[in-house]
Amino acid sequence: MNDIAEQAELGGLDFYTYPPVGGEDWGYAFATAQVRAIETQMLSRAVLLDMANAQNFEDAADLLTASEYALPQGSRNFTEVENILKLRRSAVRKLFADLMIDEPIAELFRARDDFANMRLAIRRTLTEKPLGTDYSDDGNVAAEQFEQVFEQENYSLLPDYMQQAVGRAVLAYYQKKDIRQIDYAIDSVQAEYNLQKARQLESVFLLGLFRTRIDLTNIRTMLRLKFAESDQRSVFLSGGYIEQQRLKHGLDIGYEAVGALFFATPYYEVVESGVNYFVSNKSFLKLEQQCEEHLTGFLRTTLQITAGPQPVIAYLLMKENEIRTVRLILTAKNSALETKLILDCLGE
Amino acid sequence: MIENVNATRMELLQLRKRVALASRGHRLLSEKRDEISRQLIKIARQIQPLRKRVEAQLLETCRRFMLARATMEPEDTKAALAVPTKKFALAVSFASIMNVKVPHLAKEMSGQIICYGFATTSGELDVALLALERAFDDLIELAEKEKQARLLAVELQMTRRRVNVLEHVVIPELHETIKFIFAKLAEAERDNTTRLMKITDIIRA
Repeated sequence: MNDIAEQAELGGLDFYTYPPVGGEDWGYAFATAQVRAIETQMLSRAVLLDMANAQNFEDAADLLTASEYALPQGSRNFTEVENILKLRRSAVRKLFADLMIDEPIAELFRARDDFANMRLAIRRTLTEKPLGTDYSDDGNVAAEQFEQVFEQENYSLLPDYMQQAVGRAVLAYYQKKDIRQIDYAIDSVQAEYNLQKARQLESVFLLGLFRTRIDLTNIRTMLRLKFAESDQRSVFLSGGYIEQQRLKHGLDIGYEAVGALFFATPYYEVVESGVNYFVSNKSFLKLEQQCEEHLTGFLRTTLQITAGPQPVIAYLLMKENEIRTVRLILTAKNSALETKLILDCLGE
Repeated sequence: MIENVNATRMELLQLRKRVALASRGHRLLSEKRDEISRQLIKIARQIQPLRKRVEAQLLETCRRFMLARATMEPEDTKAALAVPTKKFALAVSFASIMNVKVPHLAKEMSGQIICYGFATTSGELDVALLALERAFDDLIELAEKEKQARLLAVELQMTRRRVNVLEHVVIPELHETIKFIFAKLAEAERDNTTRLMKITDIIRA
């Protein structure tokens, strides 16, 4: 618990690049061994680069024939790609839930889909649109239950964290009559819920992961607000390592000074290269790639853990990232986008 | 030549009036045709760079949107764009160019185009939507100009056909008929003179 208390209070300067990943848990020896074995089947960077440099969609898809993403020969279309990627994502999440001994951790990661479903359901309810049944089924709450709960407005059937999110989202919407307030409220509740769960589970790794994520989200938000010339200053998530004051100050200064503002933080590289790319290309691709790279770097530090939930969680997140990358490359190839753009998304 | 025409002086006078009217109509329609052509060329010159600009903007928007969609989870994309907040209304009024009613479009937009939170969405989506918002002005101007050009082109075609009909069919036909009636009347006049001379000869004899 002391570790957790220390970790909770850590500032951005208390570690060099990545926060600590915590200790080992020998209960996860089998799960970690299994993850280490299947990790070797993940697509290598060389394959992704070859896909990016492929002549067309067909050639890029051919490079996946020996992998779990193999597309059937003949009538290859993008709907099929989407279906395969969704199936792979569901399979990875199921494997993760099977390997996790601590059910609350599996619940915590399933809650991401609950929050996504809730965003959709609340938006539809408040704008008096049909609720629909097109919700994700990978969450803690079944997709068909969503329609029923929101139609009857009987939120007591939902878990506590979702009830809280519904309450805050509805209140935020009616205060300003602005649909974006729903998302801001749900994002905030989701971040708080993640941190609270990590503390309850006494997981140094999860706490570090969620705080890093909050920081990266806040950095992206800051630059997006600057780009949109928005005056909203209360949309930053709390609980990260970076002080909100620094982020708010970033909104007032020029792009050339933003990198220097984060010089004493672990995110200097992320911000500096992201901002430079944005200034020259008016695109957030590099910033998002750098944020993903930073998070992947942190997840890779779990290699030092012989047994524990950390490698399993890291595998889930890296696998999800891999699925997103495959989707990105195939989408880009299908739409005949330039190779340089795809390489920018993949990083150097 | 006009068929079944009565070769009378009355008819000749009427035809001469019709020729004068047709010539005046031809001159006016020719002027209208020239003015519509001038306006059409002016609009076409504006359309060409405008279309290029709009196509480039829309292409860029689509490219960004595709990248955003590819980097986001499908559920997040759906949640972000399910309920748009930007409201768009188009008011159509009509102006007259050479008696052709051409539309004038005025847009009314309210609300923010970015209608989602930042945590689960890609920055590329912001770039795509803001680019689309900027493209709206040019897009509406292009729609207005292209519609104007189409209406003027139809009117030009009709006017040109009328001018050609007057120039190559109506006026020559009238002239021919006038010539025919004139010839007929002259013939009748000569006939009459000959008859009178013959009668005079008979009386003298």
